[in-house]
Amino acid sequence: MSFGSPYLTLPDFAYHRPGSLEEALELLKEYGDDAKLMGGGIGLIAFMKERLMSPAHVVDMKGIPELKKVERGSGRGLRIGAAVTIEELLEMEALRKDHAVLYEALAKVADPMIRRRATLVGNLCEAIPWVDSPPALIALDATLEIVGTEGKRNAQISNFIRGPVDIDLAPNEIVTAVEVPEARGRESAFEKFTAGSEFSVASVAVVLQSEGKKKNPRVVYGAVNSVPIRSAEVEEEIKDGITPATVRRAADAAFNHVECVDDVLASSAYRKHLVKVITTKVLKRMMSG
Amino acid sequence: MREISVKVNGHLRRRTIKDNELLLDFLRERVEVRSVKAACWRGECGLCTVVLDGSLVKSCLVLAVEADGKEVKTVEGISRGAELEPIQRAFVDHGAAQCGFCTPAWVLATHELLRKNPHPTDAELTEAVGGLVCRCGTYNQIREAVAAVAQGPSKPKRRAVESLAEA
Repeated sequence: MSFGSPYLTLPDFAYHRPGSLEEALELLKEYGDDAKLMGGGIGLIAFMKERLMSPAHVVDMKGIPELKKVERGSGRGLRIGAAVTIEELLEMEALRKDHAVLYEALAKVADPMIRRRATLVGNLCEAIPWVDSPPALIALDATLEIVGTEGKRNAQISNFIRGPVDIDLAPNEIVTAVEVPEARGRESAFEKFTAGSEFSVASVAVVLQSEGKKKNPRVVYGAVNSVPIRSAEVEEEIKDGITPATVRRAADAAFNHVECVDDVLASSAYRKHLVKVITTKVLKRMMSG
Repeated sequence: MREISVKVNGHLRRRTIKDNELLLDFLRERVEVRSVKAACWRGECGLCTVVLDGSLVKSCLVLAVEADGKEVKTVEGISRGAELEPIQRAFVDHGAAQCGFCTPAWVLATHELLRKNPHPTDAELTEAVGGLVCRCGTYNQIREAVAAVAQGPSKPKRRAVESLAEA
């Protein structure tokens, strides 16, 4: 159909709206590779318009009640269903208080109208290198719950994202939830730099999970490489705490060790500079707050 | 092909559609609501913004079939007959429309904002309309229009022409 636009229409597909996970898995079993799962549709509809994806079947997950839930786990952990929107998460006081790094990453995703439709799991599964939820979730050591026709499994997000727009998910599998571990002793923050686009040119997610004197830092950089990168060198500098001296050393470590690439958004040299700037910024904020 | 029913501005519209139609196509071509503009088609400009079951969404990023059984409001649905809503009046008074192409989306979005938050701060306004663009750049006039409504009718109205003359 050429309604209005000569090129940004959608390919032909059949739309399905299963009312349960079992029904959704049946559809995947039947259509396999010809089916694509849809949450908010933000990524899928864009990919279909560009003909980067032309599935014969679109399976909408918004009709599955169990995927619409956010549950509180032990120690203020969270289990976030795959059809929960970013806006719904941002409205939760618990997210802001206990999982600040994720709150800060999500609060700056695109714009409010898109956040009202977009889901966290959808944002993650797009696996676009410049999106913000993956570094925040990896820093939180969050895991994915994946249900397939053959059974259930859990996945580490750093293994799940294999490369740009490449995830470890079989055609007969559905990511049903993100599990964020307990928040005890945690301080966290997120910082990003964008340049005229909503996509990050560089981002950093920092989580400190204190046990006595040990801070157990997890520092993850997003948008600088094809997949999010955890930096042991930066973590080493702040393992005993954040002070003006360790902030400087951590920023230098980021500049020297975080591998940055050239792409359409920025050069690697520029990214190296940004990595130093955002590392300083995020750690200074954590130090004062 | 399938039949869907969508309440558009208070009227139930039953239409036969294809599964791959966008809500934007449905509204413009099947229901002939032309205030919903098709511009970027990529969810960037916000000119296809509508209120879907009470919240603002970009209709180029929603499938028509997803609106089945739901309610859609566009700018045609906000005024009571020929009488303008305060924000519409303020857009006129402050010269907040230049070419006018994006105006329906801006009026709808700011009307929704003021309905939910009658006294938005500047930061709240900026945040709420983050997904909309105006290529003529009437942002300052839109800001003035929203501020005028938020402050109430007693505030003296400044026209864009006058504020330009002062500048």
